[in-house]
Amino acid sequence: MIKAFTNAPDPTTRALEFIRLFMLLLVLVGWVMYPLELLILGHWAKSWQSWLPFLLAVPGVISTALIILDRKTPWIRIFFITTMWVSVFVGAFGAYFHIVWNFDDEVSWEFDKAMEAVAGARPVLAALAFTHMGITGLLSVYRAN
Amino acid sequence: MIEALIRAKDEQDRLLELVRSSFLLLCAVGFVFYGLEHWVLKHYLESWQSKIPLFLSLVGFPLTAAMFLHRGPLVRYPFLLWMGVSLLAGMMGAFFHLQWNAQDAEVTIWSLSGFREAFDGARPVLAALAHTHIGAVGLIVGLTINDK
Repeated sequence: MIKAFTNAPDPTTRALEFIRLFMLLLVLVGWVMYPLELLILGHWAKSWQSWLPFLLAVPGVISTALIILDRKTPWIRIFFITTMWVSVFVGAFGAYFHIVWNFDDEVSWEFDKAMEAVAGARPVLAALAFTHMGITGLLSVYRAN
Repeated sequence: MIEALIRAKDEQDRLLELVRSSFLLLCAVGFVFYGLEHWVLKHYLESWQSKIPLFLSLVGFPLTAAMFLHRGPLVRYPFLLWMGVSLLAGMMGAFFHLQWNAQDAEVTIWSLSGFREAFDGARPVLAALAHTHIGAVGLIVGLTINDK
């Protein structure tokens, strides 16, 4: 990414590469900050599901750093794109299960009860931050040859 | 944005406009979802500070939506200004969430243990930075557009 930005032949390509690089740097910051926050909040609990954000952050940081440095090597692209897709789904599943686990007794998708669950102890949009990072990463490498 | 996407003169230009539009769409979705979340979480309290996130969304979403229809200076400059406001509001929100958590716990954020305790408080710290994230993305999209 850095090379593509510095070697951009025209203003259009430079703007495109600048956006890509900046967004990937944001994703990299996210991969560091979110696990740090989760660690402080004690998200590393007994259930295996609670470990997922941490486990995902490891390939997340590595693949994002690698793609910033070299986006041409096929295995790096595959590694990065796979990690980002996993992040998209982990975030979406995380949000869903946060809502489900927030229901007091039985799961009910009536508006009032669902909104109560959304406002429960487990934050719903926070899980979607991983989906956001995944989408941002995928958009940043979309047709980046 | 839509017009620029349709009128793109070559493949590279089209790709740039597509990437810009996609990131702008993420900003718009962010303003809707964060606004909705603050409403569900009853963040609209008596203090004026608690009303800021909702106002950021109420102004931010229409401005972002307007960028899809017209991105001339009349829309883009207010959009850029609001993205700057969102960026700063997010940072200040994170700081004050931390500060107020520290006050509740009677610790100082200027020590490691105090910072950690304040971070673990009732007010989420990184959540406020979501507005900084939206602002930064919007600024990057807006600043790379020129009027020519």
